[in-house]
Amino acid sequence: MRQILAVALGLVVLAASACSAPAPPRSDAPRATPTGPATLPAPTGGHPVGTTALYLKDTSRPDPWDPDVQARELKVTLWYPTEQRDGQRSPYMTPKESELFLKGSGIASTPYDTLSKTRTNAVKDAAPSGRKLPLVVLSPGFTKPMSTLTSLAEDLASRGYVVAGIDHTYESYATTLSDGRVAECLACDSSSDPGFGAGLVQGRAADVSFVLDQLTSKWKHSDLIDRKRIAMVGQSIGGAGTVAAMVKDPRIRAGIDMDGTTYARIPQSGLSRPFMFLGSQEHVPGGGDNSWDRDWKLLTGWKRWLVLSDAEHQSFTDISLVADVLGLQPLPGMLPAARGAELTRTYVAAFLDQHLKSLRQPLLEGPSSRYPEVKFCPATCGHS
Amino acid sequence: MTINRTAAAVLALLLAAACTAPTPPRTQASTAGATACAHPQGPLGAETGTTIDVIEQAYFCILGNYYSGPTLDARSLLTAGFLALTQELNRDGRDVPDATMPALTGDRKADWAAFETAYRKTTDQVPDLRDKLAVVTLEAIVAALGDNHARWTHDVARPLDYYDGDGYGLGLQANVSSSQMDGSTPRVALAPLFVTTVLGGAARAAGLRPGDVIEAVNGSAPFVDGKVTPAIAALYPTYPEARPIELRLLRQTTGRRWTVTLKPGLYQRDLAALQVVRSKLLDDDIAYVRMTGFAPDSANRVFKAISRLRASRTPVGVVLDLRGNGGGSPVEAARLVSAFVHGKVTAYQCTVDNRCATARTDDTVELLNLPLVVLIDHGCASACEHFSSAVQDLHLGQLVGTRTAGVISGPAQSYLLANNTVLSFPARHHLGPDREVIDRIGVPPDHYVPLTPENAAAGRDPALAEGLTLLHK
Repeated sequence: MRQILAVALGLVVLAASACSAPAPPRSDAPRATPTGPATLPAPTGGHPVGTTALYLKDTSRPDPWDPDVQARELKVTLWYPTEQRDGQRSPYMTPKESELFLKGSGIASTPYDTLSKTRTNAVKDAAPSGRKLPLVVLSPGFTKPMSTLTSLAEDLASRGYVVAGIDHTYESYATTLSDGRVAECLACDSSSDPGFGAGLVQGRAADVSFVLDQLTSKWKHSDLIDRKRIAMVGQSIGGAGTVAAMVKDPRIRAGIDMDGTTYARIPQSGLSRPFMFLGSQEHVPGGGDNSWDRDWKLLTGWKRWLVLSDAEHQSFTDISLVADVLGLQPLPGMLPAARGAELTRTYVAAFLDQHLKSLRQPLLEGPSSRYPEVKFCPATCGHS
Repeated sequence: MTINRTAAAVLALLLAAACTAPTPPRTQASTAGATACAHPQGPLGAETGTTIDVIEQAYFCILGNYYSGPTLDARSLLTAGFLALTQELNRDGRDVPDATMPALTGDRKADWAAFETAYRKTTDQVPDLRDKLAVVTLEAIVAALGDNHARWTHDVARPLDYYDGDGYGLGLQANVSSSQMDGSTPRVALAPLFVTTVLGGAARAAGLRPGDVIEAVNGSAPFVDGKVTPAIAALYPTYPEARPIELRLLRQTTGRRWTVTLKPGLYQRDLAALQVVRSKLLDDDIAYVRMTGFAPDSANRVFKAISRLRASRTPVGVVLDLRGNGGGSPVEAARLVSAFVHGKVTAYQCTVDNRCATARTDDTVELLNLPLVVLIDHGCASACEHFSSAVQDLHLGQLVGTRTAGVISGPAQSYLLANNTVLSFPARHHLGPDREVIDRIGVPPDHYVPLTPENAAAGRDPALAEGLTLLHK
């Protein structure tokens, strides 16, 4: 029965993340008047932004979720600086993706194609400009399409980064593959299994290494990328995937975990590349989740542990920005969605500017009066 | 050792708490007097100390919601609690003259007031013991229900360096389980004691193998005159227990005898082995599915696995391996039955005054129309026994292995106490499709096939072999 107990212990951990994942991020209570389509906030950097999608196939390994598929197919969305200001804005997601995502998330307060009408800022298939730019890999949360990090991706591209967002196939409610087939969340079947998170992040690390191989050599615009300046940023299990990918792939020079419980084993010798935890109140030291405390000791290089007071799990994604349109009530006491997006963009960019562009960032040295919501842990953030 | 009181119940409760708390399965109804306590919503807050007020809340929560709450003699709970309190005092090498039981009348509220007065009078004299006394008192009140799905989850501690999927202990599983040692399953333990599985950790590092006979645990014999001794419990330490355990071993294949000292700790487990549902094709024509728990959506995963195997071959039968399956959702158990029969009752869940809800097959599930063999053992508990008894009573297939755990009092509901601990217990008790009691009795196999150390050492699985033979007949 010890086996069962171990299983049970695993389950209690996972159940928390797995069972909460599909739940809508905010109260389900419909608002009286859902507003028109959402518009993502304008990027704050100096460059216009282009975007395009790549469909890659890794034939060296079977798909981790569909045992009948002998290769791993991935959709990668790229955002990058361009000269082209005008042109068709890229769709946020397809009507089908919107439908599957809202259905999967249990959001029925709005027409299912609502998210496909979200207005973005990036010009579809615009020609990239620049060369040897720093690259940022983005990895979304469990069940979330990559597009839920579009606001952050567009902003980073406008600041001179190439951004590669990975839709980890079958780990999201909806990913349209190269042949038009829409992959659904096969991983959701086993998300309550003990060891699920640990297995999933190993797969994400493999996805990231493969995507880096392709982007830095096989992609037609690979000279756009400075392969010595690569970082990764992820939200939720994408943040956990960032730790896993950095442990496995030394090409990733720096990483950020946005509010994700971590699963990868950092070797006892430590991880010496720059790393930043950026979390909500759930992730204060000594809180309910031990994983950041555990990993903090093993981060031996430049590191920060920032907690945004009054932020929630989706404050780091577009979900809070589109919540109005979805007819979801904000959770009481949470910071406004636009402020959440601003803080996320500002601190992620500061971290990347410091570590990929060697631009020192006073913002990362301590609390700022402009951003009083940001607490520096463990020193100046209490367990509340 | 209360943490492993009933692993199966743990699984059931955790699932309920984590995933299904807001919508209890349709066969469960939480009715009378739910005022003392509510189902937990969302993540638990930080746990605080147990006080007499928490014990009071638990007492009325039990009386208002537990299966026999309307009829049980509440004095038995208070007496059990007070006894535990006095034992803890004595264990600390002390006693208190005032620590005597007050007169109880049978009036639940008045008796509580009398108990509380005596409790306070006693504990006030040993303020340094107050927290510990509160804990043992409440543990004893819950234990007095004598219900293997009644549990108080408190002081949950995990090693700081724990990773998702890790195990804790010596890293081995023996033929006698911790549930047999702590009495949560009444299944008889048979000599000799031997290793069935090496999971990792200290056991793997020391080179232990399945089939190795454990002749002594910390110098004590595991069996005396064929009867199990408490020594075996040391094989299953729980965090933070970390005292090294000495084992004297015999490898029968070589005749080698030696002694190892194993230190309990966290150990990494094989992630693939942790998957709740795994499947493969055996002998080219048998769909083999192993399922280690009735987690949400488990039944669908089994169906998917079988249909995937069917896509490439035409299986002549299904082996469902439920050995060590600690249970989970009764809804999933009924759904799994539904792939083999429609229009039947899979179980009854009855209140103390014998009002029964019926769990029925879900006839939207497609029938597999394949012969079925189910592998069972003393680790098949709770929802696993719901399923197994339905297979037997409804003649859906053959059960192979050894008798199930008999840990299926009824589906547990969780209640949040004021100090952010969780109390759980059933509101109804479980009966099989023929209205027979499964709890404690368990479900017997149609074909009794125990595991021997010789088979374990040789990597043979006689129960599975028997199952394959039956399907090929």
